[in-house]
Amino acid sequence: MLRPLRLVGLLCGLFLAAAASARDIDPATYGYPLNNPFEATIATTPPDQRPTLPSDDDINQSDYSLNLRPEREFTLPDNFWPVKKLRYRLARQDHEAPLVFIIAGTGAPYSSTIAEYLKKLFYQAGYHVVQLSSPTSWDFMSAASRFATPGVSREDAEDLYRVMQAVRAQHPRLPVSEFYLTGYSLGALDAAFVSHLDETRRSFNFKRVLLLNPPVNLYTSINNLDKLVQTQVKGIDRSTTFYELMLEKLTRYFQDKGYIDLNDALLYDFQKSRQHLSNEQMAMLIGTSFRFSAADIAFTSDLINRRGLIIPPKFPITEGSSLTPFFKRALQCDFDCYLTEQVIPMWRARTDGNSLLQLIDQVSLYALADYLRDSPKIAVMHNADDVILGPGDIGFLRKVFGDRLTLYPHGGHCGNLNYRVNADAMLEFFRG
Amino acid sequence: MADRLVLALALLVSTSALAAETAPRTSVIEADVVDTPSVESDGFLDPLRELKFNPGLDQREFERSTLAALNVYDPLESMNRRIYHFNYRFDQWVFLPAVDGYRYITPHFVRTGVSNFFNNLGDVPNLFNSVLQLKVKRSAEITARLMFNTLIGVGGLWDPATKMGLPRQSEDFGQTLGFYGVPEGPYIMLPILGPSNLRDTTGLVVDYVGEREANFLNVAEVSTDHPEIFLLRAIDRRYTTNFRYGQTNSPFEYEKVRYVYTQARKLQISE
Repeated sequence: MLRPLRLVGLLCGLFLAAAASARDIDPATYGYPLNNPFEATIATTPPDQRPTLPSDDDINQSDYSLNLRPEREFTLPDNFWPVKKLRYRLARQDHEAPLVFIIAGTGAPYSSTIAEYLKKLFYQAGYHVVQLSSPTSWDFMSAASRFATPGVSREDAEDLYRVMQAVRAQHPRLPVSEFYLTGYSLGALDAAFVSHLDETRRSFNFKRVLLLNPPVNLYTSINNLDKLVQTQVKGIDRSTTFYELMLEKLTRYFQDKGYIDLNDALLYDFQKSRQHLSNEQMAMLIGTSFRFSAADIAFTSDLINRRGLIIPPKFPITEGSSLTPFFKRALQCDFDCYLTEQVIPMWRARTDGNSLLQLIDQVSLYALADYLRDSPKIAVMHNADDVILGPGDIGFLRKVFGDRLTLYPHGGHCGNLNYRVNADAMLEFFRG
Repeated sequence: MADRLVLALALLVSTSALAAETAPRTSVIEADVVDTPSVESDGFLDPLRELKFNPGLDQREFERSTLAALNVYDPLESMNRRIYHFNYRFDQWVFLPAVDGYRYITPHFVRTGVSNFFNNLGDVPNLFNSVLQLKVKRSAEITARLMFNTLIGVGGLWDPATKMGLPRQSEDFGQTLGFYGVPEGPYIMLPILGPSNLRDTTGLVVDYVGEREANFLNVAEVSTDHPEIFLLRAIDRRYTTNFRYGQTNSPFEYEKVRYVYTQARKLQISE
């Protein structure tokens, strides 16, 4: 009696498993020109293979600011005046339309290149677009974050949610039909947590949520990024630092070329020249850029919370004071150092937290596995060669998202977001 | 598709050829890892596996480079920082709104024409300085640019020279001084004009006086009676400059701008 049922069950299971397998994009038909993940991450898509987008002149957009933490006006030092209010950018259609929120990646402001690109893409397709800074960015930490210690995804999502509600309240007449949400890199992880929060708060009822290259295990990602500056780079010696090496290459490149010409195609041309960078050099370059983000985060968090790790509490700062000594101290702190010295102590004190493993479980996509599995409105696009992933992460995405995972064979970290094929896929997903 | 493939192949071949040339592999194990990028069962291509790390993961190259890069001679730092904040505010409250207004009232081709016109005027000091640096080829190119753009391009409103393959190349007196080995001197943040140093500020003054004396297309003379030409030039300058205060979104923007300015000038001088 039971046996045929079991067989049916097995068959159903098999069928479901087959139906729910991820969309793997075939490398042969994908056609993305850069197979090297580091090159893709740095240079992104060659200009002629990007989608055609409207110019800034054709977009009805402005920057607005929100005064979310009025007390910071008095507690922040004078030279933080530009970030006492949170700025964001809104591009509006002249008719009723759906609205897309875009959350920027690690350390990035609302005006970062990728956020601008996504804005143009969605605006052209007829959406209102709001660009938000990442909770790890300097302006967001100073002007909108309650604890100014980003990294605990649930808290970051709560801060973001308040910002989004305030944005909506600032434009009550904007005719919005429904809400969409997207984010890239760390912003994608934030988007997942914001979407989860929205299931109970219900301010937006997001129709669709798109995660672009999210970290799966946040700890793996920050360790990978920290590790990038540990590559063995040829050409560095006692008298030549890494930057000097890069500048020498650039100088020689321009001398060969005969004139300086900065444009979109520069990076491809450079990589085709004799001065091109090796994998290790490119990795170091990517790692360097993330280390600067880490330094900004560590310094700002320490200053606002008066922890005294980098800058003594109540150290007098005016617009004329030099921050260089603190910069020197902050740049010695990588993501792991920031996590150990600032995030974990605060998280332990506030939530009775325990081990590092517990924190990792709480702040990574793992915490939302059940929610993500049962929410057909959320999809993820990722690359098989993304530097922020570790072994097993793609397996996790396959298991949780099933056919809502689109896995591209190349692209590095966010390098193929502005490739025509990816752009079409993003629009297609929002169109439903 | 085919040429894309060829391109990808060429890139691959060239990189692997160069890698073989510049980095002789020391062990068999490493060579294995490099040649066969590993695919995990879930399709993950770990990009970090192909990298050579230093064994202890304890090199301090990032710290060393960055600390060295922070060494810029800046004795007037306190005043410079105040001026930097003044410029930031001026930019947000006066300059950028003016540029927005300019953008609002003029069509795109007018703005391009204005930029071309002032660029053409700027080719006079470019020529002057590249002659001073005895750069024969460049001087000839700039002379050709000036002729084409002034005659065919109607006083410089169009820029046919760039389309003919003569791109704009800027040379100023600061670069000329640098070319002959004059050191930068202290870093100076100029009000409204932005980052500079003693050498380049001197260059700026010389170029300005030179331009007035040359009085090319009679613009310098006319603009004494019509200060609005100055204003238009300033707005055009801001319109064509991509930099925005706050774009690094970092509490250490002052340091970053200082480093980038210093290095960019070195690059311009050596090229």
